Amino acid sequence: MAEGYSPKILTGGESKSDDEILAAHDKVNRVSGPGLPGTGDSPLVIMELLQRLRVRDVMRDHDIIAVSRADTMARAEHLMKLNHISGVPVVEGKRLFGIVSVNDIIKALEGGWIDEPCQRHMATNLVVLEADMPLAFAIKFFQNYTFGRFPVLNKERDLVGIVSQRDVTRVLMHELTSEIAKLEGKAVANGGGAAGGEARSEGALPYYSMRQFIVVRNDLSNAGKAANEIKKMLKDAGINNKIVRRVAVAAYELEINICIHSLGGSITFILDTEKATIVAKDRGPGIKDVEWACQDGTSTANDWIRSMGFGAGMGLANSKRVADTFDIQSKIPSGTTVMCEFMLK
Amino acid sequence: MNIADIVKTLDGTLVAGGESDRTVGSVVANDLMSDVLLNDGEDMLLLTSLASDQAIRTANIVGAMCVVVHNAKPLPKTMCQVADTLGIPLVSSPLSKYDSCVRIHDFLAAEAK
Repeated sequence: MAEGYSPKILTGGESKSDDEILAAHDKVNRVSGPGLPGTGDSPLVIMELLQRLRVRDVMRDHDIIAVSRADTMARAEHLMKLNHISGVPVVEGKRLFGIVSVNDIIKALEGGWIDEPCQRHMATNLVVLEADMPLAFAIKFFQNYTFGRFPVLNKERDLVGIVSQRDVTRVLMHELTSEIAKLEGKAVANGGGAAGGEARSEGALPYYSMRQFIVVRNDLSNAGKAANEIKKMLKDAGINNKIVRRVAVAAYELEINICIHSLGGSITFILDTEKATIVAKDRGPGIKDVEWACQDGTSTANDWIRSMGFGAGMGLANSKRVADTFDIQSKIPSGTTVMCEFMLK
Repeated sequence: MNIADIVKTLDGTLVAGGESDRTVGSVVANDLMSDVLLNDGEDMLLLTSLASDQAIRTANIVGAMCVVVHNAKPLPKTMCQVADTLGIPLVSSPLSKYDSCVRIHDFLAAEAK
């Protein structure tokens, strides 16, 4: 093979700006049906995480197991077996020439060319990721292709790492744990009732629980599950039945509202020893006249929604009626956030 | 009035949710679930024509003791599954909602005497 040889790279051409990458990503989502896990209808914290994290944050960038073009297929097979991996890049210096996969090894064993150099039998139609791409892009690649790992190139087209599904999962779990800890930290600070949320007030018991539920647009078959879970949490915590019912009613109304009127969103439920808090947040389109929407009987529901037993225009009014405090913020087109609080004593 | 009484009075069939020894504390006949959520009555018997999962989920939110669907409407499989999961007795009746209301009223009136 000539020194100037370079593999045909299917994706990840010249370096792109974030906007270009995200625009391309959106296009991929549109043409391929359901969106990424973590975009579309996933919670905002995950969406933000998948856009904030880059491929470089999850890739393995040291001790990359690789072979050279002159190495035999048997050498590649040995390395794969030794390291429990399903493919090795063919690299010289920082230059990526190809990949040898398990399939290539099987073919080599069957065809009797296991002792021949990798450069003759490696795959050269490569799908690669760029280090600067959002992690969302990598997840989409794992969905769209059957490869277990992707080489990662930098802007100079040098191989800088390898990313496997396991790498993605490991880093995501770590980041999610950290995000949840932050959210829980906020819950503790807010739950204590101290001014500025800096510390818990004296007498408040040192426990709380928090759960977040995803509400998918128009998914009426699942709407109500969050409210039922919230009700169960309250009953398990031994909360007075009348309060349980009020919280459950608000949770249910807000959940249904997100489902039938918005682009999707989430219900976050926080329970501490003093109060129960529901935060219903959607991703749009927002409410033009909030005051009007909070009145009994005002509705923009269509016939389909009404046929399912909803759309009587009672949702926000009902939530407001049962809650001790009710707050609604809405902005077109970014969305609506409703917060209801219920004192437990 | 317990589940057995409801089934007998409304010529109905208990199709999901299992038996229960709870008795009727209040009665609501409505197809709009937000209206149902407005009621504060305990041990609610919900008479509805809404054959959907949401009727059961709504019933669970308000702590209803039984849901009756009328006019022998076909019940979605998922509705029965939700009733089983949440343990809410689900009765199918061939009667209209109006006829059910009359019969339930008469039964409770007689019971109160």
